[in-house]
Parts: sequence; structure tokens; C-alpha cells
Amino acid sequence: MTVKFPYRRSLGPVLGAFMTALTEQRIIGIRSADRVIVPPLEWDPTTGTELAHDFVDVGPAGTVEAWSWVAKPTSQHPLDHPFAFATIKLDGADTGLVHAVDAGSIEAMSTGMRVSPRWKAERIGHITDLDAFIPGEIPQMAAGGGAAEPVTMMEYDASIQYRIPITPNSERADAASEEGRFLGLRCPICSRTYTAGRGFCPIDAIELTPEHEVDLPHVGVITNYTIITPTQYPGQTATEPFSRVHVWLDGTDVILGYQTLLDVANEAVHVGMRVKAVWATPGDGHADNPRAEGNLIGFAPSGEPDNTDPALVNHIL
Amino acid sequence: MSNSVKRMDGMDPVAIIGWNISPMVRNTDKTEAQMLLEVITGAVEDAGITRKEVDFTCAGSCDYVAGQAFSFVQNIDAIGAWPPKRDSHVEMDGAWALYEAWLRLQMDDIDVALAMGSGRSSTADPALIYSMEMDPYYLAPLGADAVSLAGMQARALLDAGLVTERQMAEVAVRTRRDGKSRAYNQVSGDFDVDALLAQDYVRAPLRRHDLPPITDGACALVIARADKARELCENPIWITGFAHYSELHYPGMRDLLTSNSTTLAGKAAGIEEGPIEVAELQSAFTHEESLLASALGLGPDTVINPSGGPQAANPIMATGLVRIAEAASHIRDNGKHRTLGHSTSGPCLQQNLVCILEGGI
Repeated sequence: MTVKFPYRRSLGPVLGAFMTALTEQRIIGIRSADRVIVPPLEWDPTTGTELAHDFVDVGPAGTVEAWSWVAKPTSQHPLDHPFAFATIKLDGADTGLVHAVDAGSIEAMSTGMRVSPRWKAERIGHITDLDAFIPGEIPQMAAGGGAAEPVTMMEYDASIQYRIPITPNSERADAASEEGRFLGLRCPICSRTYTAGRGFCPIDAIELTPEHEVDLPHVGVITNYTIITPTQYPGQTATEPFSRVHVWLDGTDVILGYQTLLDVANEAVHVGMRVKAVWATPGDGHADNPRAEGNLIGFAPSGEPDNTDPALVNHIL
Repeated sequence: MSNSVKRMDGMDPVAIIGWNISPMVRNTDKTEAQMLLEVITGAVEDAGITRKEVDFTCAGSCDYVAGQAFSFVQNIDAIGAWPPKRDSHVEMDGAWALYEAWLRLQMDDIDVALAMGSGRSSTADPALIYSMEMDPYYLAPLGADAVSLAGMQARALLDAGLVTERQMAEVAVRTRRDGKSRAYNQVSGDFDVDALLAQDYVRAPLRRHDLPPITDGACALVIARADKARELCENPIWITGFAHYSELHYPGMRDLLTSNSTTLAGKAAGIEEGPIEVAELQSAFTHEESLLASALGLGPDTVINPSGGPQAANPIMATGLVRIAEAASHIRDNGKHRTLGHSTSGPCLQQNLVCILEGGI
């Protein structure tokens, strides 16, 4: 499973000024008493005093203070070949800028070495507008001018692959669903019944194993519902309002939340409606419904008279 | 009788009465909640109580590690939270969960609290996860990962002559040899310093042995106010000092040769009031051990990480709580009198927590 983290952040007056300067191939710091802090912060890192926006150009060259050599870069690193991470004290600065040094090999790296920025051709107001630092006193400038307007926002996209364990209980629940069965797990202490292959009773904090499995009925009653008007976000494919219903299965204390309701217009959905599970033919699957578990397509009206108990709405979890 | 317990100014005495540490493995087939279920059961049994007698719970875990928003909500299943319990969560090591639980008991309305920490680092690549927890403007977009930043600190220490690569390898050999004393440890055994020094760098100057293993694991620990602790436990282990300090985040703005926040936390916890026989330090990287020992003013009489420490098992989000459990174990099981557990968070030891324990009081 890959989780994407697309962040869009506002920069404010100090970080915004720094990022804007990067588009102009300049590095700025901020004055705090007799020190120059690079990269600039809004507050003095030692005293916490809010700093006046007194910016000063630093570098472009600087001195490597501490460094580590990255033999095998990750997908998030700024360079795709071996490089050093370093704190670089730029000329005129009193603190170290953390960035990449593209030195070619570890043998070319040393504490105290002099480095200069190599600028990217396309600069958007981002810390990676600085492609990397390179050995020597002469910066490698790129074509083009700075941003037409001050930079106020930045994007940061990360993407991480996760491997989540599938427990034996959830495997069996999925397998049961493929066969058109609802598998329940009944706690031997409190007799509460759970679904979706839950591994333990959260009330009694004991493990639930195959000996606690029970088959659940396929009919129940709607206890609550939501009509969802889809807003477009990554992964949302629906465009028209649709309903999601909570179904209380008969003779149990199991509520199936946010279920798909079939064959009912949004205006006609109501609490108390009797419904039955609708399953796909085993083996068919139904790739068109990414929410569905196993072969359950959703619930449809059973045709039975409504349950009129006013307390039904309390059963949503 | 609780008045005889030495304590921090203004703080009521609280004692550790039980704990449990899970097996530490590279890749568990258990969910985080399952790991917690087992250590909580183990910890309350160790304390001689049941879950029902726990009045407050606090967990330390991390959504980025779990790969799921609000992942701690599922972990509550392991607590047995019915009837509803007072519960809290910190997106920090379980050592900070213990700190919150200890503070909560100071309110004097409840007696027993449980702190836990859990992490499944095998869920994803830690090198990609931890850079996301850095400053989102200047560091995270560079993919500045914990190992690269630790490597810079190691370089600074090497350049200053405060440590050598051989000494770092000796730390790895000693801790992994000592780690054989704990069945739960992931990496332990006998290694040769020269053989380790012949290995390639992962992030020079750090070699594989300078890094902690990637570990799945959990820990839970039960604390109680003085009267309850004495009622439940023959030899309660008293928390006589507990403090944490943080310094600024950006490594380029800090003196990497020292750890001021560690020094401050040690002083605030009363470290100078007596000798520390054993210190369990969250020195995940070998070069951090001497840096932390020096920041805490620990001398050669203090034994460091006899459990093996984070080099033998590093369950992120529980590593610090394991240190405190181990510090307690040295008192209860090994006859020590005054020990210390340390935890850290953030790049290059940004934030540090010190917990001082005393027994036989």
C-alpha cells in the first residue's frame, strides 16, 4: 500500500523571503543581534525573541563543518548518485545550512573544505532550487531570473510504501466473504460479536481465535444513514450524491457501518428499513466497487415491514 | 510512610510496580494492537492487578510509522477500555507517555496508570519515514534522514577528537555482547572490533554496527501512587526524578559536540544527588553513548546499557520506555539501588528525557 502525503504549506514573511531569494540565486539570512542566522527563522533559536525582518545576503561560498557520506541515496534525496549531507557555514553566516554536497566521491570530502552553490535552471522557491553545493569558490549559476511575485507557498510531496500484516482472522473473514458469508467472532466472556476478522475483544482484551467464529445472518435493519455529496479528492470517483447506511444484523449486536445501499433513491432511504445482503457470484469479484469487502456488493430492501423502534438510531457503532 | 521517599520538589511519590517487554524482531506478523495486547497483559500481571484496576492509560506511537492516520485509536482495543477509561496518547516514545502518566497521578484522584510504547518499523522504510518528521521547509524536502544527520554528528565528534571509530565499534561489541542477557533482544552476540571496522560505511562515518537494528516491538509499564504501590508491591521502584528538555530542531544551529537538553534534564531530575549505578541510555547510534554519558556527567562507575541497549533492539516509539523498564529491572532483579533511564527524540538528540529510579526505600 502506498500512502501519498501531498502537503501545500504557506511560508510566511521570513521563509517566504528566503524562498523568493532562492529563485534569484541568492541565499539570505536574518540578523539577530550580532549574529546572522541561516536559513532564516522567525524567532531567535536561542532566546525565542521575534526577529525584525532584517535580511542579509550570505555566501555564496561557505565552509563544510560536519558531513556524512550517502553511498546509496533514497528516493527522497536531492541527488540520485552518492553525495554528502553537510552543515555548511556560508560566508557571513553564524549557523550552518544543511544541504547536499555533490563532491563526486568521499575522497573529495573533508571538514573545512570550501563549497559553492550549484543552482537549478528551474527555480520555484523551494530548498531544492539549490541543486547542491560543489567544491570550490565559484558558484555554478543557471539561466533565468527570479520569481515575478514573492513566493508565498510551497509544495512537499512524499510517498511511502507500507506493508501491513494481514492477520489470520481477517484472512478467514475475507475468505468467508468470498463464499457469501458474514463471519463473526463471539467473545467467550461478554458474548459480544465482532466482524471483519477482529483479533480480540476490545472490552475484555482477550484474543479471538477460530473457535470463537460464528456465521452471522444476512438480514438486518438500517439504523442510520448519510447522504454524501462527493467532493473531488484523489481517489474519489463518485460524482453524484449517494447514500451510506449502517446495518444492524438480526439477532446480533453487529453494526456494519457505511454500507452501500442498492436500488433505493436517496430520498427514500430511512431508518428502520429492512435490508438483506446482496452478494456477487463467487469468483466474479466486483472491481467496480473498491469499498466492498469480499463478494459483498451491498444491501437491498428485503421487502419486510419497517422496524419502527425510535431507539434504532442509537445503534451506529 | 510515603514521606520517607525522596522526591522532586512539589511532586508526590510514584513507583513502578510492573512492566513487560515484547520479543524484539525484524518483522512481526502481529499488528501493533496485538503486540500491545500482550505487553499490557504481561505488565498488569507483573504488577499483580488486572486491567480493571488501571485508572489511566497513555500510549506512545507514531502514525507515520504505522502508515495510518489515527492508528492509536485501534491500539485502544488492547487496553480493555470498557467501562470507558481515561486515556491519552503522545506521538512520541512511550517514555513520554510514562511522563504524562506520572504527571496525571500527581492530581491525586486516581492511583494506578499504565504507559505503553509500540512501533512496527518493518511496516515501511525508516529512511523515508523519519525525514518526513523533520522541519517541513528546510529539511524534509531534502529527505534528510535520521542516519545521515546522525552521521554528521558522529563526524563532528570524530573531528573534535571526542570519539574514535574504534571506540564506536567497541560500543557495538560491548552492548551486543551484553545484549545476550536478554532473551527478547534482536541483535546480540560476540563480534570482533577489527572485523567490524573492516566493513563498508552505510553513511560514513557510520558503519552497519554503528546503527541500531530495525525492530518491531512494544513495552508497557505500570505505575502507582505511594500508598497503592506499597499495597500492591513489596519493593516498589520509586521515580525520584523525571524531567525532559528540548532544544532547537535544526542541526546546523546547534553545537553537535554536546547535548544541553540532556544536561538540563539530568540536573532537573536530580542526577547530582547521588551516584547512578546503571544508566540505560537511548543511544541508538554508537557515537551517542559517550556524548550522552558526558552530558549527564556519568563517570566510569556507571554501567551503561547492560541490557544491550538500542544497539540490540530498537523498537522505535518504545525504545525509551524499554530503557526505563530496564533501569527498573536492574533494581528489582539485580540488586541495584539508583538507576537511570533516558530517552531521546528528534534529529541528533534534539529532545531528551531522564528518569531516575530508586529502590529499597
